[in-house]
Parts: sequence; C-alpha cells; structure tokens
Amino acid sequence: MNTALPIFLFAAIATGMSLAILITAQLVGPKKRTAVKLMPYESGMDPIHSARHRFNISFYLIAIEFLVFDVELLVLYPWAVAAHDAQGAGGFGEGHAVFWAVMGFIAVLTVGFAYTWRKGLFKWA
Amino acid sequence: MDFLTPYLPPQEWLEPLLKIAVVVGVLQGAVAYLVLAERRVAAFIQDRLGPNRVGPFGLLQPLADGLKFILKEEIIPAGADKLVFLIAPISIMATALVTFATVPFGYYMPFPGVKQPIELTISPGLDIGLLFVFAVSSLGVYGVILGGWASNNKYSFLGGLRSSAQLVSYEIPLGLSVVGVVLLTGSLKMETVMTAQANSGWWFFLLQPMGFIVFLISGFAESARLPFDLPEAEQELVGGYHTEYTGMKFGMFALSEYIHMITVAFLAVILFFGGWHLWFIAPAAKPETVTMFGGVIYVLVLSFKVLLMVFFFMWTRWSWPRFRYDQLMSIGWKVMIPFGLVNLVVSAACQEFLGPQQFFLKALIAWGTLAATVFAVTVLKPLEAPKVQLPART
Repeated sequence: MNTALPIFLFAAIATGMSLAILITAQLVGPKKRTAVKLMPYESGMDPIHSARHRFNISFYLIAIEFLVFDVELLVLYPWAVAAHDAQGAGGFGEGHAVFWAVMGFIAVLTVGFAYTWRKGLFKWA
Repeated sequence: MDFLTPYLPPQEWLEPLLKIAVVVGVLQGAVAYLVLAERRVAAFIQDRLGPNRVGPFGLLQPLADGLKFILKEEIIPAGADKLVFLIAPISIMATALVTFATVPFGYYMPFPGVKQPIELTISPGLDIGLLFVFAVSSLGVYGVILGGWASNNKYSFLGGLRSSAQLVSYEIPLGLSVVGVVLLTGSLKMETVMTAQANSGWWFFLLQPMGFIVFLISGFAESARLPFDLPEAEQELVGGYHTEYTGMKFGMFALSEYIHMITVAFLAVILFFGGWHLWFIAPAAKPETVTMFGGVIYVLVLSFKVLLMVFFFMWTRWSWPRFRYDQLMSIGWKVMIPFGLVNLVVSAACQEFLGPQQFFLKALIAWGTLAATVFAVTVLKPLEAPKVQLPART
C-alpha cells in the first residue's frame, strides 16, 4: 500500500474544497460596497494609522523558546519509540547507557528552562 | 480517473478516496449538529430553551445557519492584504481537515469483494501518525497569524499575536504529555496504541494520569475552548483575529475551530481512554475475525466516547471563567511544562527499569508522582517568590 498517496489526495481535496466554498460564497452573496463598510472595524471610530504596529518583545522571545523546546521534542519521539522495550528483543540500552544520556539531555534542557524562567521570560506585565 | 490506472491499481486510490469522502462528509455534518448541540447544552445549563424554532427541536437550524453564511456579503476591508486575507481561512480549514488523515475512526471492517479487512484510517500505512497529527494541526497557527496580520485591524492584529503565542506555548506540553504514551506502546501509530490498551485492558489514563491532565488542559488551549478562548475574548478584542471576516470566511474559521476540538477529543479518547475498546461489547480481536456488524460496533463505541468527550468540552465552557493573559502564559510555561517534564522522566524510568509489562506497579508510581507533584506545587510552593510588602499609599 502506498503510504503517502492518501495524504496527498486528502490535502488536495481539503484545499480544493476550501477554495470552492470561498468562490461559491463570493459568487452568491450580495455586493454592495460602501466606504464605511470597507473601513476596518474599530468600535465605530475612524481608524488612525496602520494596525501593523511594533509589539511587545515577549512574543518574540516566547517564539524562540518554543523553537528550542519543539526541536527537543522531535528528538525525544524516536527515542521514546525505541525505549519502549530497551532491554528486550531488539533493544538498544546496554547497561542503561542511552537512558542516562537522555536524562542528561533533559537535565541540560531543564537548566536552560530554569534560566529563562529566572530571567523573567514568562512574566507578563 | 482512467489515466491513473496504468500506474496504480484502482484499489490504491479508490479506497482512500471513499474514506476521505466519508470522513469529510461526517465531519461537516457532525460540526453542524454539534454547534446546535452546543447551543442546546448551553441553554440547558443556563436554564433557557435554546434554538427550537427551525424544524422539530430546532433540528433544521444548522441548515439555516449554513445558508445564511453563504448568502452574506463577503467583505475584504480596504487596507487589507487581499491575497493573504483569503489564504488564511483556506489554510486553517485545509490543515484542520488534513489532521484527520491518520486519526483512526474505528478498527477494521471487512468489505465484500476485498480480500483483506479494511483499516478504518485514511492513511493506514503511515507509521508516524501521532507526529503527523501534531505537525499538521500546528500549521493552523499560520492561518491565525496571517488572518490577524492581513486584516489591517488593531483588534485582529492583537488577537492574532495573542493566539499565536498561546497556540505555540501549549504545543510543547501537548507534545510532552504524549511521549509517555509512546513509551508505553513503542509506536507512533494510533491503531497500535489502541490495540495495546485493548490487549492489556489498562487504559492509559490509569498509567499516565499526569500525562492525561497535561494533555487535556493543553488540548483545551490548542482548540481555544472557553477557559482558554483568549484569541477571541469578545469583551476586549471584539472577535480576535477573525474580527474582519464575514460570511462564509468567518464560517470557515468557526468550522476549523470545531474540527480542532473534535480532533482533540478523538486524540484524548484514542490515547488515554482505550479508543474502540470496551469490555465485553468491543473486546480486543484479530483483524481477520471482525465481522461487518462487529466493525460497526467498534466505530460506535469510539464515536460514543468521542461524543462524551465533546460534551465535557461544552460543559466546561459554562463552568469556568476565562483566564487572564498572564495567567494563561504562566499556566502553560510554569505549570504544564514542568508537569510534562516530571511525567516524562518518571515514565521513562519506569519503562527502563520495569520493562514493558508490570502495569500495576507503573500505575501506582504514576498516581503517586501525580499526588506528590500536586502536593509540592500547591502546599509547599517552592517556586513562589517571597511576598514583598508594599508601603501603604498615603
């Protein structure tokens, strides 16, 4: 059985369906444009300036922290699959060496996590 | 489709195509009626009647809603980035749907004229089902941030920022909590996870209570359900990132949000509540022995559990107030991630030193760890900063 084919089929169908819905709605709905209707909604006030402002640096830092943790998670998945039966048939953990290596990896990560925590990364004023 | 036949036998593409049609159809119908169900449940909890005018018991309400969505005017605000504004709902809906490619919706089903029983997953051959689900569902963040940025509206922009930070933050505990389950089964295939639970009779919430709690709370946050629905905190941000979306485009955002909730419910049931397994009614069986009636029973058991989970989601919505944004962030980073790490280390040690069996001992250790961690966090409070007494204002 081809493993990737159903996923590509599904992705194509899902995208096509979303597109079709959008186009149908565009065709069926009324079109009476006025200047006020096209104005960005700002609780009845006329908007001033562009909305694309500078924003809080915390969002940026959170994104970097997320990147670190997400890559770390990706490393843990294959290990978890193999560690299911590390000592048994087809196992790999001779003398728990791999287990302690992974624990060391998590410890390093935890130290980094604690450091960013102490630095106040998760403080939202 | 004749041009495909020289390369692929018809079963190769006909079977997934049929499954896709079933899944997409059922999902759309389920979402339409779950919206109605949610409104009725909300009404019941608040001692009202809810929508009951359109058809018997309001059963035609979803049709009316859908029609209204399509017939409304599609507005693209003047300052918006038109292309990105249109890409956002498409990407969020497509990714929400494609997530279901590896989520099983039953066990096996024999089909007349087909030799092997059919696996009830769109893509049964994929070994990395769980990873695929997390990868694709997290692509939904793009729809959120693109929609918020393209609208050229301050509410949308702030809502998009907020919710992308929220989705990104809770992605990590969600992934961490699942590693415990992967350790217990040694596979990323959800079919294997369910079979493992059915064979041993130990549903994984018994062995992974902490993982389950972390998963559930992060799941609520990922699908932006009420205690965590800050992306569209309507008192402060009007509608959040979809403030400027009207008609069917708004409908697509709402639809994909609902599909996200159903996905989380499916995952919770499959990973922690045995999936299709239920003693005596739907016991563990070899794929070849499943009859057509039995196959339907498996699907029904799984859907019933998922519906219970969805009901729990709706119930929670009217039982808890919304968190503040700083509370949301501190729950995600300061509680959920440490909990997830503790759970990961403990279950890895269990697996390493106790082997793949010994479920009773593992369950004892897991519940003990949960109790100890909760005790440490709530009673001992080791991480709490000392309270500084501010001088009284005069």
